[in-house]
Amino acid sequence: MSARGHLAMLVPTLVLAARLACAEPPGQLLLPNFDSLTGKSIQSVNITLDSTLLGLAASFLDSSKPDDAATMQVVSGLRGIYVRSYTFNKDFPYPTADVETVRRQLVPPAWQRLVQVHSKEQANVDIYISVDHGRANGLAIISSEPRQFTIVNIVGSIDLKKLHQLEGKFGVPKLQLPDGQ
Amino acid sequence: MSNDLDESLRAALRPVDPGEDLTRKVLAAVEQDSSRPPRGPLPPPGHPGWRWPSAVLAIALLVGLATAYHWQLRRQERGLEARRQLIEALQVTSEKLDLAYRVVNEQEHTENGS
Repeated sequence: MSARGHLAMLVPTLVLAARLACAEPPGQLLLPNFDSLTGKSIQSVNITLDSTLLGLAASFLDSSKPDDAATMQVVSGLRGIYVRSYTFNKDFPYPTADVETVRRQLVPPAWQRLVQVHSKEQANVDIYISVDHGRANGLAIISSEPRQFTIVNIVGSIDLKKLHQLEGKFGVPKLQLPDGQ
Repeated sequence: MSNDLDESLRAALRPVDPGEDLTRKVLAAVEQDSSRPPRGPLPPPGHPGWRWPSAVLAIALLVGLATAYHWQLRRQERGLEARRQLIEALQVTSEKLDLAYRVVNEQEHTENGS
């Protein structure tokens, strides 16, 4: 086979290998760049904690303190936490195209919608969970209120009960959920 | 013809006495070398030759310590920032779960009331 023939075979293989290497782990969403919202919001939260940073953060938690110990329980098994949240001082129309790019990723069979709520105050919250072989490996929350827009993506083995244990700690609100929910 | 070649080869390769001169030169060179002080692998402690290597070693040690300290400081800063972000992320997540719960609860109350 000629050198050109070898190259023709090698290039697609390399491209496939690169794609596999760059592929997002299950449960992780490709979040769009919400730069346009940053300038218009009065408060923005942009958190990207990959497994390395989560490990680093966990190493700065003190297991002898109850609050930190509960957080360590939640974080163990997680591989990433990604939060984009924007608060506005007036009702603000969100870029629906960006939100749609996120929603398009949240489709069965990888993702299942757990909750979809629409309140009278125009608060819409969608909660999705990614399940693989009966184990939750991703959680996504899309919340849109008239003056706040939030996307949360938690990657890894998620135990909502452990998250529930965090209520009342670090300013986490009381969820008032019965145990086990 | 071949006898001539043999003769000339023999003449060229015949043993030659080096003479008295060579022996004398070799013995003089050996004597001169043994009269030199023996060279050790390293100068003794306190020798001026140690000054530069010591200074370089001390500077390298200081630079190494400063780098390690700076790295540790940066790691601590990054760790504390990651911890703050983790707690904030969990707060936001809990707030949104709480919002969903409240809305579901309100809807259930409305349906039960009506």
